Amino acid sequence: MNFYLPIAEMSANIFVFLGMGAAVGFLSGMFGVGGGFLMTPLLIFSGIPAAVAVGTEAAQIVASSVSGAIAQYRRKNVDIKMGVVLLTGGIFGSAIGVQVVKILRQIGQFELFVSLTYVTFLGIIGTLMLIESLNTMHKARGGKQVSARRPGQHNWIHGLPFKMRFHRSKLYISAIPPLMIGAFVGFLGAIMGVGGGFVMVPAMIYLLRVPTNVVVGTSLFQIVFVTAATTIMHATQNHTVDIVLAMLLMVGGVIGAQFGAVAGEKLKGEQLRALLAGLVLLVCLRIAYGLVVPPSELYSIGGVLGGH
Amino acid sequence: MTLPANSWRPVLFGALLGLGVMALALIPLLSRSAQVAYAAPPATQQTVPGQPVAAPQQPAQPVLGPDGRMPESVEADVSTRSVAVTSSFTGTEIIVFGTVEHSRQPTAESGYYDVVVVVDGTPSPIVARRKANVAGLWINANSIRFDKVPSYYAIASTRPIEEIADPQVLDKYRIGFQSVHMSAAPQQAQLAPEEMAEYRQAVIRLKEKDQLYQKKETGVAFIGRSLFRSAISLPANVPVGPLVTHTYLFKDGKLLSRHSNSVMLQREGLERYLHNFAFEYPIFYGIFAVFIAVAAGLIASTLFKRGAH
Repeated sequence: MNFYLPIAEMSANIFVFLGMGAAVGFLSGMFGVGGGFLMTPLLIFSGIPAAVAVGTEAAQIVASSVSGAIAQYRRKNVDIKMGVVLLTGGIFGSAIGVQVVKILRQIGQFELFVSLTYVTFLGIIGTLMLIESLNTMHKARGGKQVSARRPGQHNWIHGLPFKMRFHRSKLYISAIPPLMIGAFVGFLGAIMGVGGGFVMVPAMIYLLRVPTNVVVGTSLFQIVFVTAATTIMHATQNHTVDIVLAMLLMVGGVIGAQFGAVAGEKLKGEQLRALLAGLVLLVCLRIAYGLVVPPSELYSIGGVLGGH
Repeated sequence: MTLPANSWRPVLFGALLGLGVMALALIPLLSRSAQVAYAAPPATQQTVPGQPVAAPQQPAQPVLGPDGRMPESVEADVSTRSVAVTSSFTGTEIIVFGTVEHSRQPTAESGYYDVVVVVDGTPSPIVARRKANVAGLWINANSIRFDKVPSYYAIASTRPIEEIADPQVLDKYRIGFQSVHMSAAPQQAQLAPEEMAEYRQAVIRLKEKDQLYQKKETGVAFIGRSLFRSAISLPANVPVGPLVTHTYLFKDGKLLSRHSNSVMLQREGLERYLHNFAFEYPIFYGIFAVFIAVAAGLIASTLFKRGAH
């Protein structure tokens, strides 16, 4: 069954995108990640224009994060104050990101930029995760106690001005680092079509020293608001949010995620992380391959933007 | 005031649902006002102004040819005057048919006349880009902007066009891919001619790959002494806008007569609502997208929570 996508301007088989949503939803449910970093490249590989993939994915991330955020909020795992500071920076970063997308599309370098950011971030995150999970597995086999969190020590971050008290996180730190981190993640999210949890979570744990029990909830909380703002900005600035495509991905995604969550419970944390690391590196390699292999067609054509 | 932990949920849900419904109800309203922007389909039978006319326009009083017989002329029409691009649009086919007035050919198979049908889409500006290897990466290194390139171009003829007329004649009437009019933006005029030609070829090649440029060398068939028809396929990705069909009647490499028609290609139904919504009211469209996303997330979480019990 085919459906004409109004913004992507192509006729698409709805089962392909429902299936894609379900597959990525399954993996994100299993690994407990947003899945944007898998979905956006998949959409681009399947012929959706890169900018439409990124804009549409922002809307889908809102859908996949909102229920998680509410669940975390009920369990009181959200540091609202920290979340608001992060999302203030996030919306600012996202606004810059959306403008950068606009400019890069006009000069025809958006695809390249998306590919490069993906290769860089997926490469770094995938490698770090793989090393960490392999180490944990190795240590666990040796029977040693595994501790994820290093003892808290003061670093340069504690010397910055504009200190704020974050009760839920039991922190008294400057507002500057969370604002900066939020802005950076918001910027990445707007450009890559991701929620940015994969940068936000480690940054909160290792840079801000937020207790692990509130990290995921607070991260989800700010992702919902930042991706919602990103969706609206992409829709107004770039006209790249395809509502029909987003709905197909949402429906597939929420169903897939339920089965994925069940599957995820059967695996150990470090095994999951090793698998996820493998997946991240695969996507990274696939995108890198597309950049270095001589293309069969050197030319491409596109509409002139701004004159719609 | 403290509320029980769960009581805010139905309230939130109701509010969201209400807003969602309101937003939904807004779409037809918004798009109805936008409908005005769509002009009524232009008159269907017309000669295209601004193009050179070689064959004499049909005079009011019939003039006999040098051989004492009535001169031939061609009249044509299209099977449909307007094509609706709806959400389930997967491409369609239009039939261009016509007759040769005062036909002198003995049978349909005699090959006495040559008919060429050209279907032209709205010219639009495009950017063509060429990749080059920069530090090991294949990136878009050069680009050229064409101010006007037909978004769609189909050509059908009774036999290969090279056999029908000389290149100069074909070029004059813009028949064939080589004659497709592409004007480069003025600032790119200094580009080397061979480089320009490469870009041109690339545009044609890419458009052909997308089936937006098509050529059927035996796509026009005579059914009787004077009646002919041609099926032109419009792919799913055909850009919306008016299409102009040109029908040319040739004999021994000379143009005897020509006729033009137009077909309106426009978005209809849900497809049109959504497209107008997204481009005319982008901020509301964005907010609507967020509402749908939030509602989808909430519905999913309540559905599956119940399923778990």
